[in-house]
Amino acid sequence: MDMIANLTLGFGVALSLQNLALCFAGCFIGTLIGVLPGVGPIATIAILLPITFGVDPVGALIMLAGIYYGAQYGGSTTAILVNIPGEATSVVTTLDGHQMAKQGRAGVALGIAALGSFFAGCVATLFIAALGAPLTKLALLFGPAEYFSLMVMGLCFAVVLARGSILKAFCMIMLGLLLSTVGTDLETGQERLTFGFPPLSDGIDFAVLAMGVFGFAEVLRNLENPEARDVVKAKIGRLLPDWSEIKQSINPVLRGTFIGGILGILPGNGAVLGPFASYTLEKKIAKDPSRFGRGAIEGVAGPESANNAGAQTAFIPLLTLGIPPNAVMALMVGAMTIHGIIPGPQVMTKNPELFWGMIASMWIGNLMLVIINLPLVGVWVKLLQVPYRLMFPAILIFCCIGIYSVNNQPVDVAFTAMFGLFGYLLIKLGFEPAPMLLGFVLGKLLEEKMRQALIISRGSFMTFIERPISAGLLIVAVVVLVIALLPSISKKREEVFVE
Amino acid sequence: MSLNPIERAQGLRIRSQQDMAAGLFMVALGVFAFLLSGDLPLGSLRQIGPGMLPKSFAVICAVLGLMLSLASLRFNGEKLTGWAWRGVFLVLGGACLFGLAIRGFDIGPIHVPQLGLLVAGPLVILVSGLAADDMKWKELIIFAIAMTTACALLFKYALSLPIPLAPWLLGI
Repeated sequence: MDMIANLTLGFGVALSLQNLALCFAGCFIGTLIGVLPGVGPIATIAILLPITFGVDPVGALIMLAGIYYGAQYGGSTTAILVNIPGEATSVVTTLDGHQMAKQGRAGVALGIAALGSFFAGCVATLFIAALGAPLTKLALLFGPAEYFSLMVMGLCFAVVLARGSILKAFCMIMLGLLLSTVGTDLETGQERLTFGFPPLSDGIDFAVLAMGVFGFAEVLRNLENPEARDVVKAKIGRLLPDWSEIKQSINPVLRGTFIGGILGILPGNGAVLGPFASYTLEKKIAKDPSRFGRGAIEGVAGPESANNAGAQTAFIPLLTLGIPPNAVMALMVGAMTIHGIIPGPQVMTKNPELFWGMIASMWIGNLMLVIINLPLVGVWVKLLQVPYRLMFPAILIFCCIGIYSVNNQPVDVAFTAMFGLFGYLLIKLGFEPAPMLLGFVLGKLLEEKMRQALIISRGSFMTFIERPISAGLLIVAVVVLVIALLPSISKKREEVFVE
Repeated sequence: MSLNPIERAQGLRIRSQQDMAAGLFMVALGVFAFLLSGDLPLGSLRQIGPGMLPKSFAVICAVLGLMLSLASLRFNGEKLTGWAWRGVFLVLGGACLFGLAIRGFDIGPIHVPQLGLLVAGPLVILVSGLAADDMKWKELIIFAIAMTTACALLFKYALSLPIPLAPWLLGI
């Protein structure tokens, strides 16, 4: 019954007028930016980070969560209407969603995506509320060795599940870890890799790195390869699915929610697998699999529910253990830190109103998405026609103001430009920078826990293997890496990501 | 991408320029970071020093880079493509100009007063906007004014962030 009491507390916080307004604003602006082609959730959150600065931490987190859902949903909208997936998780939606749109059923595709996502969001919220307390208790049992191994496992998953070459993803993670060591050493106070340059002694600023690599460099990439926008000319049509369509979608939604929710908890970007798994399953059990790829409503309903369920349960490792499972959550960590909150098990015990308020606001946010999106589809379609020549200067001025406002330091803007150049170089070399952000955020924590663990064990590396939980996590990490490197699996992996 | 027998007979050559360059880049970066952290003590396992992790990460980066370069001799892949320097200069240059203009700066004899958002905003939009191939002057100027006004209202007033608007003109 704790759960109900906790949720009541949470809704008490989330339903205050200010927080409702922030949740609404977050969802709305998140969708607004996320719907722009070529702007994925990572970029959206990075760009919108500054608008949360003036708000108190609870409100800011609620707003950020809203931005996150909005960005996710905006990505699905572009996937359906323009055939450009905002990020890996909405790739699958383009397959059948865009076909439906071409047949003049864009409205139904968007409607079922919204309704399926809403259902998945409701279930995921309950799931988080139910698992939050026990997992937090578990987290308190974790010592530094377990934390270290858990992070290693998460990074291994992130390598395996990244797009493109495994070796290159590995490079990016290590680069992120390397960048995280820049700055003053926590224990001895010695400066590391700072070139004796004072602004670097606090380490590389998270916002500077994120906006440089995902704001500026992304603009440079898009300027270079203008994406062919295939905005559907056909009518949007009615939004609400009719009875037979609902009947067709109920089971895929249920299955998608389940698959996505479970995979989302995995530390290490499990959420990205949800839509793929759901789509494959629906295609496999369908009576007539040939309909898939030609506008089958199940091919939108299932993956979209899985997408949203996973997007939400990905909060579980972050909120309970303080370990971000993917680049988007790494951004949330950065955002929380800017607001003075260190994510981890202590959040729930020390700031219960923040923890439960955020969970309650997840449900409200999902409801708002349905309310905002269905009537505003027309506006989003108009937005899709904004030419890139106007979009990117707007992105830039937002980023500039944002970076300046983090510390009120003009130098930061120049730093960000430098990281923009660095990010562009990485893109040119065929690296996908998202894992770098994850490595960067986990790096400091990884080092701290490793040092603590080794002090406790008096310098014996065996501690990571002798402690059963830690050993188990490391074994999983090794197994995952080995499996991914087996030739037969890696071929399949390539196929999945090519699709 | 695996090779067919004919290609295999051709022996080792660079089959993916991009991966080769990427590998060399990682090696260079690793070596650079290793040299930079050269004077940091490694410490012992019992008491890890500040140099232990940077050095280990640097070594791993270099090794991964080496593997990537070697793999590029074996597997076919992408070619390197040229840089779009115009975009790079205009976009990043525009951002730097924003940084210079927002609070003013002094470099040696050059002194730029604190110009504020009302100057820095249009500056970044106009300069970066030039990077688009299909740029239209009139549209861009109107957009710059509208965007700056909107940002000033949003950030300065709605969100009350301490951003100077135009201290030399308005005093705020």
